[in-house]
Formats: sequence, structure tokens, C-alpha cells
Amino acid sequence: MAEASQLFKEFKIQSVSEFFRRNAAMLGYTGKIRSLTTVVHEAVTNSLDACEEAGILPYVRVEIEELGREHYKVIVEDNGPGIPEKFITHVFGKMLAGTKAHRNIQSRGQQGIGISGAVMFAQITSGKATRVITSTGGDIIEAWVKIDVDKNEGKIVKKEKHPNPKGWRGTRIELEVKNVRYVRSKQGVYWYLKLTAIANPHAHIELIEPDGKLIVFPRSSEEVPKPPVEMKPHPRGVLTDDVYRMAKKTRRNTVRRFLIGEFSRISDKKVDELIKYIAALRLIKTEKDKAVQDQLYERLMNGEVDKVLRSFKGYTKVVKQVAKLMEKPPEKLSWHEAEEIVEAFKYMKFLAPPTHGLRPIGEENIEKGLKGILKPEFVTAVTRPPKVYSGGIPFQVEVGLAYGGEIGSGFDLLRYANRVPLLFDAGSCVTTLAARSIDWKRYKVDDLERAPIVLMINVISVHVPYTGTGKQSIANVDEIHNEIRLAIMDAARRLQTYLSGKHRRLYQVKRKKTFEKYVPEIAKALSILTGEPEEEIKNYFLRFIEERFAQSEVEAEEVAENA
Amino acid sequence: MPKSKAVKRSQPRERFSYDPTKVLSKLEEYGRRVLEDIKSGKNPYFDIPMRGLSNVYFDEKRRVIKMGDKLSRRYFLNVAHARKFMQTLLIMAYVKRLVSEGKHASLREAYYANKHTIPGTKENTFEDQRESDPIIEDLERMLGVLREEMHLTADRRGYIYGDIVIRDGEDEFNTSKLGMGGWAVPGTVEHLQFVEVNVDYALVVETAAMADRLIEEKFPKKENALIIATQGQASRGVRRLIHRLHYEEGLPIIVFTDGDPYGWYIYSTIKQGSINLAYLSEKLATPEAKFVGMTMDDIERYGLKNVTEKLKGIPPNKKGGPTGDYKRIIEEMNYPWFQNKEWQRQLQLALKMGVRIEQQALANKSLEFVAKKYLPEKINNGELLP
Repeated sequence: MAEASQLFKEFKIQSVSEFFRRNAAMLGYTGKIRSLTTVVHEAVTNSLDACEEAGILPYVRVEIEELGREHYKVIVEDNGPGIPEKFITHVFGKMLAGTKAHRNIQSRGQQGIGISGAVMFAQITSGKATRVITSTGGDIIEAWVKIDVDKNEGKIVKKEKHPNPKGWRGTRIELEVKNVRYVRSKQGVYWYLKLTAIANPHAHIELIEPDGKLIVFPRSSEEVPKPPVEMKPHPRGVLTDDVYRMAKKTRRNTVRRFLIGEFSRISDKKVDELIKYIAALRLIKTEKDKAVQDQLYERLMNGEVDKVLRSFKGYTKVVKQVAKLMEKPPEKLSWHEAEEIVEAFKYMKFLAPPTHGLRPIGEENIEKGLKGILKPEFVTAVTRPPKVYSGGIPFQVEVGLAYGGEIGSGFDLLRYANRVPLLFDAGSCVTTLAARSIDWKRYKVDDLERAPIVLMINVISVHVPYTGTGKQSIANVDEIHNEIRLAIMDAARRLQTYLSGKHRRLYQVKRKKTFEKYVPEIAKALSILTGEPEEEIKNYFLRFIEERFAQSEVEAEEVAENA
Repeated sequence: MPKSKAVKRSQPRERFSYDPTKVLSKLEEYGRRVLEDIKSGKNPYFDIPMRGLSNVYFDEKRRVIKMGDKLSRRYFLNVAHARKFMQTLLIMAYVKRLVSEGKHASLREAYYANKHTIPGTKENTFEDQRESDPIIEDLERMLGVLREEMHLTADRRGYIYGDIVIRDGEDEFNTSKLGMGGWAVPGTVEHLQFVEVNVDYALVVETAAMADRLIEEKFPKKENALIIATQGQASRGVRRLIHRLHYEEGLPIIVFTDGDPYGWYIYSTIKQGSINLAYLSEKLATPEAKFVGMTMDDIERYGLKNVTEKLKGIPPNKKGGPTGDYKRIIEEMNYPWFQNKEWQRQLQLALKMGVRIEQQALANKSLEFVAKKYLPEKINNGELLP
């Protein structure tokens, strides 16, 4: 048996960067095609977020240059606000750093490991530093960034400053990556950018493929989406650890003030209520009879907190104790007390969380995006009002439906979470499950697999419940499933209306043809009977049909409007 | 032979009326109307009297089945009508050509002549003769002219034998001088002219066998009668010929059929017309025709009981009845033109006796019996049913 000291010889503290270096799959770097898509995704996401926060209409250009076998240079350039010189190492070199990760806010990206993950991936596959060229309007900074894996720190290998006579502003990054492959598949860069363009109609996105082909996804909306706003956490959505850590960091001087100030939907009155609930829970725990205990928990759940309290002798004393807790400085809050607070939250009723932090794409913009990129003959979009899952996490569902036109036959589902396209693990995703659960025949779509339909689903939330670390599949949460279904059905109903109208028009065309095909025969016969020239008779009939159908078209449309 | 006969020729009441220009002008008039409608932006149509039982009635005064005034309107601009509208015009144009060129075509020829693929489609103008035949019937009703007047003929059936002289186109002949087979009645008898009619009446015979028998026995010569063999249900040509001989030549018409529901129905059709061709009754029916036999009374009177045959089907008083022959007899009893004592008695008798008797059963007596005794006796004594 080995001695502990022997075993611990190999003990080493691993940095976050080191951890992710070894577990690149968790960041989306699995597979040769997907890895390249992930690199592009991280860069493009950063560009879009930066532009939005700065209120700039994004212009993003992606260039993939083939340097050798499974060896590419990825260049992403934007017209964003640029990165101040001193932040370059932080942005590209340090993981778990960023402008959003520590805030309760809807975001495209991950927890600040996105672009640094890409820099890391470039570094460990090609050994090359990432070249960053950026300007906030002043000098142009050109820097080569690497990550010091051991220290989880970015370091600038080389830096140059250039004058900026034309006042260029933006960021261009160049990453050299190996062990990846560019393929125009549904999981590749092209498809990813196409989907991104659909969900971000305000962005102009260009792609230069390795063979030099330029693909442009033009902007179809001039409106920059408002950046998401920070939201205070809702009491139903927090864990003990959240409360404990927030309490340590707060600047408020009592627990009561802390709760009111840092959570949404907690008022002075709610804190008074909270006191009673905590007291009740403490008292219930003293009850020895398990059956009675269960009964009391149930009554508490039903809101009978006062009755539950009164069933204990000397309950006022306990209430006073708990009340004292609320007046102590928050940094003195113990783990156990934080646990009590979170447990009491579960029994209490709160208003649904505010939803002003959610930033849907919006029906109009979804339609613009689908129309601009897919060129369908029919498009509609539904943005559902915000809802809550797990009792306290707000979310919102949007659905866009495009039909026909340049869309080829075959059903396509475009999945998004906070506007970010999800390209992998479609099978178990709630979006797929919900889309498949619809009885499409009811909406005049007889064979979904062969219908020229593109359905896009965007799930928006501060906290999207992904199924795995890859963040490519949304968990099948009942509330979300339900909302997606309702949104699809709403859109499908509009499609149905369109299709019935279309069938009617097709039927009219067919009808017209029926009459027209007999005209030559009729003209010949009438010419024999009356002696008038055949051609003239033919024209009389054709003109007559034309007039009648012009009339009926007007009638049909009037009917449709009234309906 | 006694000279005092119960049946006598009467004065003619209709004149030879065949006039091809009438058909042509009607066709042209309809064509012009369609053209005027379309020129003034109206949806052109044809009004066609409806066919079927719902649109026929018995005209008590004239004693024929007649067509009612229910019309169906066939529009050009109607998905359900357009094809038939086209077909109607096609046939109309075809008829115009036939009539103006003085040619005749059979229904089948008319079908083939007008069947072709519509240019630019895979559709034929006519897919089947079952499409063209009804259009021709529609035209008869719509224009009020006979198919025969439109030079469209059906298969010929039936023949005549007797001392009459007929002009058929360039030919003129006496139908008793054409051999024992007589003269076959053509599909169209419109253009025939009766140059000489030297007979006292016409005897319409259901079966060819009986007609042949009568000719062999020289019945036409002896009785100064014209034999008309219908060979089953009388064809339109034969019915029209009977009508014309009766109305244009005043010839009494006497019908001789089997004593069974089918025979009586043949008589009924000659006399009152049929539901199918109700619109032509005025031209085809001969309400004054009379019936000589076979009757149920003949069985008793001539001792023919052992040569009767049982009626088919279940009698009305038995379970599941009436069916077959019994059912048809009961139907016939309800015909307005059989609402008289004599016929009701005959039909009742048939139901009661449950038998039928054929014309040929008379041969049981002797081959000459029908020509020498049965017919002369009944006809000259006027023992006829109305």
C-alpha cells in the first residue's frame, strides 16, 4: 500500500484554463467540423454582443482560409466598439471573465470562457498566438495573444501600435486552428452563419469560404436590438449558495434590507411573512410524529402559516428569534440560516419574476430575418408573452414559420437559445419534441417530411436549461414544451389560412384552364353553325373567361377579408 | 271473305312533313344565340328539357305519355357543365354538316366522327359512346326534332310486308313484291313517301316467326292487310312508321303480341309512347292502336289451356311477392291507359290464372289456324281491346 505522502507527490493545483484545456469537449470542441464552428461562433457572438451594447448595427465578416490539411486560419472582423488596450489580455486570455457572467442577465455567450476558449483551442492545435487588431477610434492596436495555461492568464506575445488616420473602429481577430475541417454541412460554419443571420436580421454577415467564394447574408432590419438589462434574482430561482454568497458581498447593512434590495419581488411585507414561514418550519421540525409533520408541511404549502404557528405553544418566542435574524448584518448570515431562507421561499407565494430583462427578437424581425435569408412565399412569427418555469425562472418562446418559395421540400427545424443557433443534439431537444408533437395534418400540412417548411424556435431566458455542457440541447421542461407548442400552433394556424387561400386560388386557375381548353372546340363548332370566323369566336370566349375570373378574384379576396 | 269489316281506313290527319331546312335553321338559331350571349358578356347556356320519370306525365286528352316542362340549364361557365356544353355544340355542328350534305350516320359513326383529342390536353372530346348518345337525345328534346330528322340513325329492326308502294330516295317498290321476307324498316323513315297504300289496316306482330307464318299463309293478300313485324320491342323506326301510316294514311293499327306482360308492354309503347322517349310521343305514339291478342280469354275460348306457360316470379298473395311477371302485371294495371274494364279484367285474369300464352301457341290447333280463323274472326268482328 502506498503512503499518502507518496500519493500526494503528484498532487497539483489545476487552473481553470488547465481544466478546460483537458476538457475542451465541454466548450464545444469535439469533432473536426464542430470545433471550427465553435471557434467562429465564439468570435461572432462576441462581435454581435459588443455591437448591440454599443448600439451599432453589426457588420461581421468571417473568412476561412485553408492553410493546409485540416489547418485553417479563421478571421472574424466586426465594426464594433473595439477593445481598450488594457482589456485585451482579459478578454482573450482569462477564462471566466467578462462583462456579463457575474450578472443575472440574458446573454448569448457562456460564462466568459467563449473567446478565450477559442484562443486556447487555437493555441493547443496550432501552437500559434491569436492575432487581435482593434481600435476604439484612436490608435490601432495589433496584438498577438496567448494563454498562460498554468496561471489562467492572457499574455501578449507581441504588440504593435499603428496610426488610425481614417478613424476605423472595430475588432479583427485571426486564429490559426488545426484538426478541423470546413464542410458545408448542417453543422458547419456556413449553416451556422445562415441561422445566425436569420435570428439577427439587424446584422450584416459575410462569409468567405476556403475556396474564395463570398457569401453575403444581408441586413434586413435597421433596428439595433436593445441590450438586455440586468435582473435581480427571483426568490424561487435561487440556491442556498446564491443567497449565502450574495449576503457576503452585499453593501446592505441588514439581512432584511439585503433581501429587499437584491431580490426581485421581495418587499418589507414579504420579509415579515418570511419570518413567520421560517418560524413555522423550525417548529414543524420539532414535531416527532412523522404523519403530523407531513400534514403540517402540507398546510404550510397551502398558505395556512398562521394556523400552523398557533398550533404550537409559545410560538411567538420563535417568531421573535427569527425576526432578530432579519436585523443582523448580512455578512453574519450563516449557511444554515441561508438554507432556512431558501427553504421558506419554496413555501411562499411570490409574484412572477419581472421579464423586462428578456429580449425577444420580435415577430416583425423574425419575419424579416426569415424572408431576407430564405426567400419564402409565406412567413409568419409568434412571440409568446413571458412565462416562468421552475417557479421562478422567466423565459419566453418565439417561433417563426416560413413556407414555400425558395425553400426546398423537407421540413427544417432551426433551434435557437437566446438567438444563438443550436446545431447539435437536436434529437432530445425540447424544441424538436414539441415540433414533432404537433398534428401538422390539422393545419393542411399533409406530409411534414416533404413540406417546404422551415420552423425556427427561439427560447429566451436568463437561464436556459441546457441538457449538457455543450449547450446544444434544451431540456424538456413542461412549461417550455407547452409554450413552444402553443406558439407553433398559432403560427401553423396562420399557415393553414394561407394554404387554404392558396388552394382556392390554385383551384381557380384550374377551373379557368378547364374552360379555356374547350374554347377551340367550341369556336370551331360555332363557326360551322353560324358562319362567323373561328378566331373571332375564340377571342370572344377567352375575353369572357378572363373578365369573369378577374371579377371572381376580387370577390374571393373580399370574402377572405371578411372571414 | 265478308266485305263488312269492323276495321276501316280513315281520313289522313297529318301530312308528310320531312323538311331538312327546318333542322338547319333551328341549329343555326341556337348557334347564333350562344354567340350573341358571349359577345354581350353573358354566360351562354342551353335549356334542355329534363329526362326521367320526374318529368313525364300522361296526357289524358291526347292519350299519350308526354314530357313535362322541367328544364335543366347547361351553362358554358360552369365546371360541371362546360364539357357537355362543348359536346352539345360539337354534335350540333356535326348534324348541320350531315343534314346539309344529305348524309346519314349511325350513332356509333357520330361518336367516332366527333371523338378526338383536345389539342394541348390528354382529354378526348368524347371518351365513350355513352357520352355522345345522351347528347343526341338532349338535342332531340332541345330542338324538338327527331334524331332521324337530324340524320342520325339507330340499328334497324323490324320489317313490313303488304301491298303498299314506298318511295325511298330514288327507289320505288311494293313491299309485297320483295319476296317472303318483306322490306326491312330502316333506322330513319322520315324521308319515306307512301306512293300507294292498298291495304285496309296494319297488323303489328311481335315476333318474326308469327309474321313469317302469316306471310306464308298469304294472310296479307287475303285480308288486305299490311304486316309489320317489330321483332320484340318496336324500334323507333317502326314506331315512327306505324305513326305515319296511321296519321298520314289513315290506316287502322292492330297489335298482335304474346299474352304476357312483355307483349302488353310492347303494345303500350306503340300506343302511348315510352317514358324514355316521352318527348317524342307526339311523333312516335299511336294512341288509337288496338289490341287483338293474345288475351287471357283466348285460352278458354280456343281451348289452349294445355299450351300455356306459368308466369315467372312470386304471386302477390304469396310471401315475398309480387316479383317477376306478377310485379310487371301489377305495374301495368296501374298505367292510366289500362284504366278500363277490359284491360283490368285481362290483367286480373292473368294474375288469377298465373299463366302466359305465346302467339305461337295457336299452332297447337294447326299451322293455318291463326291466319284463317283466329285473326280474321277477331278483327272482322271487332273483338279488339282498346
